[in-house]
Amino acid sequence: MAVTLKINDIECSYGAVKVLNGLAFSISSGSFNGIIGPNGSGKSTLLKSLSRVLKPVKGTVLLNEKDLYKMSPQEVAKKMAVVPQETAVNFSFTVKDIVIMGRSPHLGRFENEGEKDFAAARQAMALTGTLHLADRLITAVSGGERQRVIIARALTQEPEIILLDEPTSHLDINHQVEILSLLQRLNRENNLTIISVFHDLNLAAQYCDSLILMKKGAVFTVGEPASVLTSGNIKEVYGASVLVRKHPVTGRPSIILLGRDTQINSKGGRIHVVCGGGAGASILGLLAGQGYELTAGVLNAGDVDWETARFLDIRMAEEIPFLPVSEQSHRENIKLLTEADVCILANIPFGRGNLKNLEAVSLALEQSKPVLIIEGRDIKERDFTGGEAELLYNGLKENGALVLRDEAAVLNKLRDYF
Amino acid sequence: MNQHDRNWRRRAVVFILPAALGLTVILCTTIGPAGIAFTDVLTMLLRRLPWIGNLIPRGDWPANYEIIVLQMRLARVILAALVGAGLAASGVVLQGLLINPMADPYILGISQGAALGATVAMLSLGGTIALGIYSVPLVAFLCGLATSIIVYNLARAGNRVQMSTLLLAGIAAGLFLSSITSYLMITSGQNAHQILFWMIGGFSGRGWDHVKILLPYILIGYFLMHLYARKMNIILLGEESAQHLGIDVEKMKKILLAAATLTTASAVSVSGVIAFVGLIIPHAVRMLVGPDHRTLLPAAALTGAIFLAVADALARVAAAPEEIPVGIITALCGGPFFIYLLRKKNHPGY
Repeated sequence: MAVTLKINDIECSYGAVKVLNGLAFSISSGSFNGIIGPNGSGKSTLLKSLSRVLKPVKGTVLLNEKDLYKMSPQEVAKKMAVVPQETAVNFSFTVKDIVIMGRSPHLGRFENEGEKDFAAARQAMALTGTLHLADRLITAVSGGERQRVIIARALTQEPEIILLDEPTSHLDINHQVEILSLLQRLNRENNLTIISVFHDLNLAAQYCDSLILMKKGAVFTVGEPASVLTSGNIKEVYGASVLVRKHPVTGRPSIILLGRDTQINSKGGRIHVVCGGGAGASILGLLAGQGYELTAGVLNAGDVDWETARFLDIRMAEEIPFLPVSEQSHRENIKLLTEADVCILANIPFGRGNLKNLEAVSLALEQSKPVLIIEGRDIKERDFTGGEAELLYNGLKENGALVLRDEAAVLNKLRDYF
Repeated sequence: MNQHDRNWRRRAVVFILPAALGLTVILCTTIGPAGIAFTDVLTMLLRRLPWIGNLIPRGDWPANYEIIVLQMRLARVILAALVGAGLAASGVVLQGLLINPMADPYILGISQGAALGATVAMLSLGGTIALGIYSVPLVAFLCGLATSIIVYNLARAGNRVQMSTLLLAGIAAGLFLSSITSYLMITSGQNAHQILFWMIGGFSGRGWDHVKILLPYILIGYFLMHLYARKMNIILLGEESAQHLGIDVEKMKKILLAAATLTTASAVSVSGVIAFVGLIIPHAVRMLVGPDHRTLLPAAALTGAIFLAVADALARVAAAPEEIPVGIITALCGGPFFIYLLRKKNHPGY
């Protein structure tokens, strides 16, 4: 693929403040590129220097092997269009007026728009679904519509490259997907090169072929989404703890934000959660977010708690779907429980199949481990064994298990132990 | 705005406004102590046209009427129209360029800067009008340009120009420069009367000489502005967007600021400082024809011409036989309008 844009060690500053420092990468023709990074990492500044607005103090930006800053603005505008983050237009121009402005770089000084220009504008409006807005005032359309109008104007420039600065950050998810899908289509069908700043890492992962991850005014790493968006990279650049998984539908990396790291993490507490059927998913998520080391059991493969545990990389005692807890998985459960410092019993219903879980918990009490019970509903309502489970359950309470109302109370209580 | 509206607006600019201006010029020429009929004025003017002029018979008006109309009144009306057109066009350009609805050559201090320049030129030329008169607009232009550059840079913090700071800087610079002009005038001795007469702002005693001085500058200034009419629309979306659409914003700003200053300064050097024309007219016309500068600019220039010609006619007759400076009339209209704009929170339609 031909290289369209080449960035050679550029340095940019606002006055005395250096914002970009020694950036170098290239953008191939027909690619969909995302620029990501935390606030203040220089994403927008980079976009400014790529769009011939902010001249780098050092280094060069080459567009089709020509120095961008030695080309005239008009020459650049024929090749490159820019969609800003938010476009407030306070003038009573119609949508059509705004879109046709995209022809400006193609017009001579004394020239007015001709039939060819109107055709280009109409085509761009058809592509972006804004034809029906043509005669409306730009001040009277919604945010999503306005952004599509601005993209239509950019397309009317008939550029090879479109630069976008968080084009969807002010839009709801439906409009975000709509606009990004439009860009994707233009990228694939019209071979348009796209460079966009993204705030939302999942959107970036889903749509881009290549990501540029920035940190403090420099490129941290460049590459395919799967190689850039690792939990290690994100931890290092953003300082946030995330889980990165392959999206089940798109196969792209999918990022799930965990809570902020807390002090607890360093003390190294380990908790075993006895759950199943979905009753434990929320406590597992909360505890993982707090940084506790977790184990769980016994979970039937495929149920919600099992999926959650797998997702969170939690070690667990597993059982085949719909089968009762076997001797083997029971032993595994006990082993995990024995290694833990605290045991939590989620608000699960009991039948013949999972009575062994209650036995396991009572074993924890015998080992004089703290046992916390989340009692959302009375045991009578979730005992399907004809009283056997209730008996065991009440036995736990009598032997010192702490009964707590909900997950929040559990988090609170855990502070006493770690 | 649909296609029909757009055509209507274009027609307004091409046909209705020029016709209205022609009518205004003739009507204003009939106004004055000597009551001269509309048809007489029309006939006198038609007789002056090349080729067909000789075919029109002379009416039975007194001999001095022709001198009053052609030598005195007509020159004055046309001068007022030219100044009005120049100030209104400058207002449109300044408002568009600064993306600021309150901008106007008077409020930004450009008029006062030009007035100081004109005063200095007149004083140093010692009243030798025959020689110096053509250079007065040039000196006025240079001082006006210096003022606009200083005011703009005073208001600029980094890349941003605050609207309120710009207005304050302009008003402060205007007052400062007016004071210097007043001081020069008072200490100048024999020329004081001449300058005072000019500075009050008005067209009293102006004639074809002044039209000849003014016309080329107004034409050059307007031509430059009109060249950028389409690009001025794009500037309204913001300087950065304009740059992305291939406009050399810095170059355009320089040229347009120079053009607006040239137009204003030449107007000031013949008529003194006339306030608020550059503020009211662009606003009113924008409300009627919309923000497209290709229509707005000529429409505002024509409307400004009509407005100032009428204002000057009023100035002649309002307190007859005394004549009041036309600046009083424009300020009476413009002051309340300025306050109305300030009070208006948003500027829809701007």
